[in-house]
Amino acid sequence: MFKKTHVLLTLVLLLVFSLAGNVLPGQHKAAAKEKHNKTLVMGTSADYAPYEYIDTAKGNKIIGFDIDVARHIADKLGYNLEIKDMDFNGLVPALDAKRVDFVMAGMTPNAERKQKVDFSDTYYKAKQLIVTDDPKIKKIEDLKGKAIGVQLGSIQEKEAKKIADKVDNVSIEKRNKVPDLVQEIMSKRFNAAVIEDGVAIEYLNKNPDLSSFVIPGSASAGSAVAFQKGSGLTEKFNKEIASMKKNGELDQYAKKWFEPKTEKKAEKKSIVDFSTIMPSIPYILKGILTTLKFVVVSILLGFVLGTILALFKISKVKVLRWGADAYTSIFRGTPLILQLLIIYNATPQLTGYKIEPFLAGVLTFGLNSAAYVSEIIRAGINGVDKGQREASMALGVSYGSMMRQIILPQALKNILPALMNEFITLTKESAIIAVIGTTDIMRRAQIVGADTYRYFEPLITAGIIYYLMVMTLTVLGRMLERRMSRGD
Amino acid sequence: MIKIENLHKTFGKNEVLKGISTEIAQGEVVAVIGPSGSGKSTFLRCINMLEEPTEGKVWFKDQEVTTQASKIQQVRKKIGMVFQHFHLFPHMTVLENLAYAPVTVNKTPKREAEAAARELLKRVGLEDKEGEYPGRLSGGQKQRVAIARALAMNPEVMLFDEPTSALDPEMVKEVLDVMKSLAQSGMTMAIVTHEMGFAKEVADRVLFLDDGILVEDAKPAEFFAQPKSERAQAFLEKVL
Repeated sequence: MFKKTHVLLTLVLLLVFSLAGNVLPGQHKAAAKEKHNKTLVMGTSADYAPYEYIDTAKGNKIIGFDIDVARHIADKLGYNLEIKDMDFNGLVPALDAKRVDFVMAGMTPNAERKQKVDFSDTYYKAKQLIVTDDPKIKKIEDLKGKAIGVQLGSIQEKEAKKIADKVDNVSIEKRNKVPDLVQEIMSKRFNAAVIEDGVAIEYLNKNPDLSSFVIPGSASAGSAVAFQKGSGLTEKFNKEIASMKKNGELDQYAKKWFEPKTEKKAEKKSIVDFSTIMPSIPYILKGILTTLKFVVVSILLGFVLGTILALFKISKVKVLRWGADAYTSIFRGTPLILQLLIIYNATPQLTGYKIEPFLAGVLTFGLNSAAYVSEIIRAGINGVDKGQREASMALGVSYGSMMRQIILPQALKNILPALMNEFITLTKESAIIAVIGTTDIMRRAQIVGADTYRYFEPLITAGIIYYLMVMTLTVLGRMLERRMSRGD
Repeated sequence: MIKIENLHKTFGKNEVLKGISTEIAQGEVVAVIGPSGSGKSTFLRCINMLEEPTEGKVWFKDQEVTTQASKIQQVRKKIGMVFQHFHLFPHMTVLENLAYAPVTVNKTPKREAEAAARELLKRVGLEDKEGEYPGRLSGGQKQRVAIARALAMNPEVMLFDEPTSALDPEMVKEVLDVMKSLAQSGMTMAIVTHEMGFAKEVADRVLFLDDGILVEDAKPAEFFAQPKSERAQAFLEKVL
């Protein structure tokens, strides 16, 4: 048994590292065509069609205007291009932490960002549109008393504030992603949203109910490439951008991606229609593997660590008891998502180690789950008849053997339902790792939503998958319970 | 074999043992009797340090067990204990219950330990139960398994803490029979019990405890015929 624990621990660690090594989600290496021997890593947020998005019906490749331009420039400069997909809000921190060499994400240079990063010259100038489903909103003044949505931390947020300064009673609602904004309009929570023209076009094409107008005076600063402060790349990129502007290559790319398709305003779709996302369902299903790996490793880590903590809690050594209690108190007393973001973002800043999303996620969930598991196990140990301890002691059995072979097996039997419950919670909560860009089921559902402009269907698909996973766990738990109760 | 000197034990403000001194010789069977709350069980549990004495000393052979907490495991290996509520390991079969400590503590090869366990089961008349889990045994069977489990470590002394108190009346005899044959085999035994008939028949000595004090220490024939103290007289009047 002692050895088994060791093997288990080794297995967990191996799994963590091997997974961290090969399931780096959102990383798309152009392995087949490593043309150059140097590589540039580009950070982007692939849910901003047509700048960058994933054509989920065809696979998991990130495509879009920015990608084309980046490839063109990288190729000219003699680099291969590697693309890392992450949350838009994580892009500047990623540059900071040197996770990526540059960022192209339809990003507009503003004063705030300029303090942290350098920008190239703008390679594309967009206009800001008001997108709305209310036919009565035709000019800025019509927004009086309305709720307008913007992407958090975006240039549109600034634009919305300007509107709020001019028009009375405008409330600004922030969301992490543009698709969320459109969804909120559809759900009637927002009356309008500020969206860039290039991005808005697809939504306007696919949703006959939406209309739009340009915000007067919203001379956009345009999109530019972001670099680390003092990066040598800035100048090189500027040169290429200038030459692409001159020879019309940039216009060609813009035409390819930004021109409205004329297929157009077809019939109004029914409220729920799975046909649109059918081709993308395999893409969501692939997330099962990521989620499963994530959940399994997190559960193992949490269980092993939780057991150790539980033993600390019942130990006679005061420091151990105190430490374990403090640990539990901290991990139970703060939000999981906060722990995740701290581990993911603070690790590179504090240690220089660029922790990968998967590893950061597994660590957070493992550490967090350990706090809960330790309480469950502690209660389980206390629930075992004191006589078991005395009988073991009277036989001369050592503390370690007694715990492993007498007390814990009995405790586990009693707490199995509670443990199963914790594992089920962890499985569901794992959807949170989507925020750091791990392409699990949840993130894939969001990406499909962004790609197909349908939200309900991918989310329902994800929901069904999660439900089936949880049911499987429940059934497994029942089987285990039955097996363990053979002695009764 | 066992020497106890001025043993005190206090739980909070409650002094349960108030200075007990006695000896148990090799091969001796000692019955510890007395009213409930007199400290009989605590006295027994101090011998293998399941309770830590507040004051006083306990020797096992030439080794003082009260000072050497680190070596207590070595001593406990040689002192078997049987509890009122059996405390069998519910997640192990009868055979596993018996072989567990020899394999884990003494590093006896599993096959050897199991062979010895089967012999012991035969001795307590339960050879057909080796594959059962404790949950499926009767109280009497459980206690016989518990005795066999303690014997599996080849102890030099056996402590019995009210071994028949939790049993249905019809099962008391089967357990007492096992204990009787064990006493006849020359095992050193200390038995906390309410079975006066058994004490009378099997014990070499009777220790009568009351209120944490060793009131009488006598041969059973003497004790049961003419108890010296008033307290013992009163006690015997109630139970006999």
